[in-house]
This record gives sequence, C-alpha cells and structure tokens, in this order.
Amino acid sequence: MLTDVFTRPQPDKEKQLRDELNALVSHHRQSCPPYARIMDALGVRGEAATVAELPWLPVRLFKTKKLVSVPEDQVIRVLTSSGTTGEVSRIHLDRGAAATQSRMLARTLATVLGSRRLPMLVVDGRGVVGDRRSYSARGAGALGMVNFGRDHHWLLDADDRPDVEALRAFLDRHGREPFLIFGFTFMVWTYLYEVAREHGLDLSQGILVHSGGWKKLVDRAVDNAEFRRRFGADTGLTRIHNFYGMVEQIGTVFLEGPEGGSLYCPDFADVIIRDPVTWQEVPVGTPGVIEVLSTLPTSYPGHVLLTEDLGVVHGIDDGHWPGKRFSVLGRLPRAEARGCSDTYQGGTP
Amino acid sequence: MTLRMRFPVGEAVSSVADLLAPNEVEPLAVGDPRMVDFLAAVAKRLLTPALARRHPELGSLGFFLRRRELLGAVERLHSTLGPDTLVFPRGRVFHVPPANVDTIFVYSWALSALAGNTNVVRVSPRSAAAADAVLEVLNASLAEADPVVARTQLMVTYGHDDAVTAQLSATSDLRVLWGGDRAVENLRRHPLAPAARDLTFPDRSSFAMLSVPGWAAASPQRRREAANAFANDAYWFDQAACASPRTVFLVGAAEQADEVRAEFVALLEDVVQERGWDVDAAMAVEKRVGAYGLAADGGVRRMVFHRNALATLELAEVSATPRHWLGAGTFPFVTVPDLTELVPFVRRRDQTLTHFGFDRDELTALARSLGGRGVDRIVPFGAALTFAPVWDGHDLLREFVRLVTVND
Repeated sequence: MLTDVFTRPQPDKEKQLRDELNALVSHHRQSCPPYARIMDALGVRGEAATVAELPWLPVRLFKTKKLVSVPEDQVIRVLTSSGTTGEVSRIHLDRGAAATQSRMLARTLATVLGSRRLPMLVVDGRGVVGDRRSYSARGAGALGMVNFGRDHHWLLDADDRPDVEALRAFLDRHGREPFLIFGFTFMVWTYLYEVAREHGLDLSQGILVHSGGWKKLVDRAVDNAEFRRRFGADTGLTRIHNFYGMVEQIGTVFLEGPEGGSLYCPDFADVIIRDPVTWQEVPVGTPGVIEVLSTLPTSYPGHVLLTEDLGVVHGIDDGHWPGKRFSVLGRLPRAEARGCSDTYQGGTP
Repeated sequence: MTLRMRFPVGEAVSSVADLLAPNEVEPLAVGDPRMVDFLAAVAKRLLTPALARRHPELGSLGFFLRRRELLGAVERLHSTLGPDTLVFPRGRVFHVPPANVDTIFVYSWALSALAGNTNVVRVSPRSAAAADAVLEVLNASLAEADPVVARTQLMVTYGHDDAVTAQLSATSDLRVLWGGDRAVENLRRHPLAPAARDLTFPDRSSFAMLSVPGWAAASPQRRREAANAFANDAYWFDQAACASPRTVFLVGAAEQADEVRAEFVALLEDVVQERGWDVDAAMAVEKRVGAYGLAADGGVRRMVFHRNALATLELAEVSATPRHWLGAGTFPFVTVPDLTELVPFVRRRDQTLTHFGFDRDELTALARSLGGRGVDRIVPFGAALTFAPVWDGHDLLREFVRLVTVND
C-alpha cells in the first residue's frame, strides 16, 4: 500500500513533532491571549524537551471558551460538535488551516483509497449536511468525506430508512470495481451490514472507512474484531478501516491499518497515553487517557489536547506502518458532583 | 403517571387526587405535641451509633431534630409575636428539594411539619443512600406515632411528570423550591393558587476568609484543626453545595499572606492524604477544564495541580473571583489587605462566609457594611454545612406559619 503520511519511525517522528509543536506553542501564545494566559498560569517556560512534556489543554475547553489564534475577519469556517449536555465545541478555521486540514486528510485516506476518486456510498441521509457555515459533527464528517468520492449514493431516504432498491442499483453500476463506503460505525452496522446480509448483497469490492465508537454496539456484542469478521463472512467486505478523530483536531485521523485492530498515527500527529492519577505517560500495554498531538491546528490552539477517551498503545514501530499502534477503549464517565443545583431539569421525561 | 410512596411507604398511587388528604377532624397545630413526639422519635433513631457511623450527615440531622431543639424553635417563634397575634399552620406545603444533597429535604420538611402543615415532599429518583436511610427511619418511627402523622405527611418519588408537579403546585399554599436557578425557573412555570407563594433556594456561592494576623497568632494545633475543618466544609459535597467554600480570601499583608497560603495548602494536602480522599479521572479532567477556563478569562497568576484531589489558583485581584463551580477540590486564593475590600464584591447570590482568625467585632462590622446585600451566614470553619433554622436569610419556621391578629 503506497503511503506518504505513514512513513516515520517513532524516534525521528518525535524529534520532528517536538520541534514543530514547540513552535506552535509559541505561535498560539503570541496569537491567542486566553491560551497565553493559561500557559502563563501554568508557569510554562522555554521549550519542551520531549513531546510528552508539551503542555496540553483539556479538549472540553473548546466547549467552554472561545480559543482562536487568527483575527476574526480571517475566520472562514466555524466547526461545531455537540456534546451530550448541549455544550458545543467551536473550532475556528482560517483559509490556510482549512486548506491544510483537507489536504492532509486526503493524503491520509489516499493510503487506503488510492489517489483516484471512487464511487461512494454514504451510510447516512442527505439531510445530515445542512447549513454551510456551521456543521454538526456528523454533518462535518460526512461533508469532509464526500470530497473523496464521486457518484455519491446516500443510503438513507428522507425518512432515515435504508433504500434497498437504490442500493442494489448503486451496486449494479459500481459494485464490480473498488468503491468507497463511509459512515458512522453504529449506522454502518445497523443500516448497511444488516441490510446487505438480509438481501445477500455483494460488498467485496468496497473499502469501508468508518468512525464513531463502539459504545452503541456493546449491547449487541459487536466489537471491532466481530465487526470485521461478520462483514467479511456475510457480505465479502474485507477492506475495513476504522478511524479515530475529533472536530477539535479536524483533518487529523488515526487510521486502522489493513491488518485490522490497531490505529496508526500519521507523520504529523501522535498519541500519548497518560496515567489518570500521575498524568505521566504510561508504558506500552497500559491503558490510560488519550492525549492527541497534531501540527495541523494553526488557527486555534488545538495542537496538544487531552481527550476524555481511554486508550492503550499496543506497540511502537512493530506494525504494518511505523510509529505507535493503539486502540480506543471507551470514554471517561462524565463527572457528576453532589451539590444543591440541578435537581429538576423539568419538561422532558 | 405513578407516584412511588416513600413515606408512609406503600403501594404506588396513580393520581395526585389520591394523595391529597381530606381535612383532619383535629388538625395539627403549630408545635403540635403529636408531631414533636414523632420528630423526637426520629431523632433518637438517627442518633444510634451504627447509623451515624454509616452516614455522618444523619448525626447532624438527629441533633437538629431533638425534642429540646424543636421546642426551643417553637418557643423562639412565639417570643417574636405580640399578645394580639395568633399563629397557625400555613396549610398545604409542597417541597421540591435538591437531588444531590441527600438530607436537606428532611430539614425543611421537618420545620414545616413542626409548624403543623400538611406536607408533600418530592424525593428525587436520583436520591442517594443517606436519603434512603432517612426514609427507612421515618417509616420505622411511624409505628409509635399518632396516625395524624401518616395522614398529613407524604413523601413521594415520581419522574419528571409536569402534570403531577402542576397539580401539587395548584393545590398548595406554599411551595418550597430548592435546586438552583434553573430548577426554580422550571418549577415556576406551574402556577400557584392566587394566595399561595414560593420560598425559593436558588444558586448560591460561598467563600472562606482567613485572617493573616489571626493565623500568625494561632498555635500549630489550631492551624491543623482549621485546615481539617475547612476540608470538611469543602470536600463533603464535592465543593458543590451552596454553602461549600470555594475561593479563600486571605485578609492581611501580601507578603505574610503568601506564607500563610503555602502553610495552609500544605496542611490541606495532609488532611486530604490522611483521609484518603480522592477524585476520579473524570473529575480531575473537569477540574482542569474549570481551572484552565478561569485562567483563560484572566486574573489567575498561577495554578498548581498538587494531586487530583487538590488544585490551587492564585488570583490577582478580588474581581477575578469565580462564582461558578470549578470541580471538587479546586481552591482559588486571593489576598486583600482588609475586609472592607470584600464589600463591593459581594452580591445577592453570595450565601456563606466561613471564617478563621477574626474576632466577633470584625465579623459584625463586615455584616453591617454588607447591609444585607448578600451573604446570609458568617460561620466558623467547619460549620459551613451545618443546617440552621435560619437559612438563606429566611427564618424557616416563620415562613411556614400564618399569623392572625385579634384586636379588641
């Protein structure tokens, strides 16, 4: 598989990332006053000697604070992601950051899709892509991906039901050569796998790229291995690539290798797993909280973020591609305090 | 709709009409002996060592409900009234207590019951273990009680059913709303009868103040006790109760204040470590979000994450003091030369100031200069969470009664 973004062995990569990210820390300190105030209060001085020493922000800070490193009039797009409690991340992109993120996403995905645009099946409804200045996370995901395909077919109809006849027509036209399938993991399983199995559809030429987590599939006893096994056995689909990414680091995706089971970091990004008590980096094989690093965020200080996801590094420079291989294990539960407030939310049952 | 009967415990009922007791032949009076007997019996059970060990907060509740305390409260009420004034229960009272502070509903209900009212308390479905323990005690105490208690005092659990809340609101003479601004606003959508009114407990913020000269004068033993008492105030309800202190005002000269802060934080860390108090990873992240967010807004000179359970922030000036929760065990510190600096800062929503190292005259002078614009309680370290019959500026027993004047 040809690639130009999964190339660097870990020691080289860390040196390069450290230097580039140190430069980004300075850049954001100069350009984003709230970020500078946080760094000052933390007493961050000088340059980090290792990537693990770079100062991180909790990712949820983008839901509570406006953090932008470019003048207001240069912001061309604001991405939002809604959380469970109605808090919304707001990610501000200028022309340069928007162009870089889509270019790097393209180069990352070209590793598994090739450089030609493939016919594309989107496991979602057309309606998920709405207002063009502000997108939902699902909409932004779908919209970002749509550029990588052609002759798009949206699987769900206006009532959010899979249209089997239209799917059959798509496969009759495109199903004998490689085609791209994109969707959120849960939707892919519910709407594509079950429909394809039931109707005996052949997906063997498909390349599935999916994301969104396994939480909703836990009660169906479907994990990544089972997902891959059953898609292969029941529909012929074997080229499956899960990915991990977030709107707060738009354009950066950690992509499952062709062998399945491990996510890899592109050259411009990395993960560090931290112990939730000491916050130090943990050894390979020890689960912890995932920190994501990426050189893409230049218009907002999202270059080093502590997520609320749990993960584990399986190995370093020992897999299909160089660098760290890791898995996402789930989410930290939301902190809930005792206290006097919020007794009665009212209205909805 | 179904309402789970928590007290008196029994079959679920399906309509509010079934809940509303008919008028009593011999209605309860203010300080009715039948109710005093019942509450005193509850107190005895709450004070049994086994229970108090399991839920320390039930011990304080037990003390609050002792016969002597109850009779004292009734007597204080009567002593404030002239000879021409008679006092009666207000009627039906509907209580909506907060979900997360397990026992506060008992305090406000008990005072309303002592006032002789017919009460309906909505116990949250999310209520915790201590609340269940209280309900058990209440039910167990019913056997010896006059039947009027079970007929007039009801505690129910139901989901977020607006129809039930609306009916209970419309048929009440007084509605007692806890749980913060949003809860109060939500509940106020349901109209009351024209003559009825609300007693509300909205969002509050509370602070601690530590006298720098007072600290210098205190023995090492007293300082340790202060840190211990402060830790109880702060950590008991994850620093999220209305009365939990958050920011600490160091009152005195800046240079000595830095030393006092360092010593106080070190003692606090010892307490946290000795007690084995910790917060989970999610709370640790929550604290980072809170503290970094405050720093982003400006006014934070330095923040230090000592361990997951303890974070401290040094603020540049009083105006940077937050009123929102920053996560369990997050303590901003700000130094002011004297107490008058706090006066322009205080708002209506400020509730409790816990203090260490001040004398009574200083505290009274502060209260006078605040003029009732904010801060309802000034209490020593360790007493922040001790419920009192005067709460949030209201004399609760007085709120729960109706006055009739007779002049000839």
